[in-house]
Amino acid sequence: MFRRSGSVACYHVEDSLPAALGEEFCEALRQQRFRTIEDAASEQTSIGWVTSADPSGNTFEREHMDADQAVWLRLRIDKKSAPTKWLQIHRIAAEASEGRKLTARERRELKEDLLSKLLPRVLPSVALIDALYFPKRQLVMLFGTSNSVREAFLSLFYKTFGARLSAADPHRLALATGLDRQRIDALREITPVRWPDAQRGASGQPAPSGQTAPRTQEVGA
Amino acid sequence: MTDTDPLAFLGEEFLTWLWYRLENEGGDFKLDQGRSIGVSLDDFIAFAPRDDDETEQTLRKGLPTRSPEASAALRHGRRLRRAKLVVAEGEDVWSTVIDGPTMNLLSIKLPEDDPDAENIAERGQGRIDAFLRLQDHIAALYRAFLEVRLESGYLEQGAAEQATWMATR
Repeated sequence: MFRRSGSVACYHVEDSLPAALGEEFCEALRQQRFRTIEDAASEQTSIGWVTSADPSGNTFEREHMDADQAVWLRLRIDKKSAPTKWLQIHRIAAEASEGRKLTARERRELKEDLLSKLLPRVLPSVALIDALYFPKRQLVMLFGTSNSVREAFLSLFYKTFGARLSAADPHRLALATGLDRQRIDALREITPVRWPDAQRGASGQPAPSGQTAPRTQEVGA
Repeated sequence: MTDTDPLAFLGEEFLTWLWYRLENEGGDFKLDQGRSIGVSLDDFIAFAPRDDDETEQTLRKGLPTRSPEASAALRHGRRLRRAKLVVAEGEDVWSTVIDGPTMNLLSIKLPEDDPDAENIAERGQGRIDAFLRLQDHIAALYRAFLEVRLESGYLEQGAAEQATWMATR
């Protein structure tokens, strides 16, 4: 069942996509499905699509993505990284047995040796991130707002569908609200209002001249 | 992707205007098709720094909009950067923190599930619909702000009245 809480970043789809949940759409997801790095012997990240019913990325059943007016997408990001505390412990032990600090080269060799032994035993961290694609609105809601998640999602979405997404930031959201032509024109010229600092004695009344310092509009200057 | 929207300030102006609007005209907003929503500011607000050398100020818990610190920030001409909103339509109540510069909706809590939903799938659909409705409500509020903000006489009229409120609140 879909979540009841979360943080959302919205995007507008800039290019055309295959018909939602059509064969081409599902095949595109399959091509970029998640691939496991569970047994990998190097530090790496794997990013790909899965479904809510199958977190392995092996199957893409339409019924698990069909959310009526939306397509329920799920991104899986696995990261395998070196266990730094273990590397530190082994380095200290090696230095104790040598009776001296290791040289940079010895440290590098020790690290490479340990990584090849430890990483196959290390389980990757797993993150599952939901997204809803509303085909009629050409809108995507991404349930993750960190830079790394957004970048991973935008990149995978483009790789999958060849379509760009643009963030529904204040500018694009304004353009999407159905403003009249006069206000759209005004939006092109708009600059921030600089509200008066009453503590420093400004009058609190607007400046008739409008623009003052570069890129701001003074109120009460 | 990481480019900053040159109009990011509009999101902050929107939140500050919304506060002004709520205190001066109340929290009811008419939507299309005869619908209306109620809006209030909740227990979290954060002020943007006026300049690069100022700090962001965050107020949590209780009624932060009623605090002397909030009034002082407004008197200094500071805009809201983030605010927690409660939005109600009929029996349905949402809460979310709006991040002004990005207009991302953070920490969303949806209304209770429809008790008449017959199965898990139906409840899930209801939640997806609720996320979309919240997005639509915020877009409607933002549009209401833009209608005022983009009027030709805004600086002389709407901004002047808001400046007086900020200075004297």
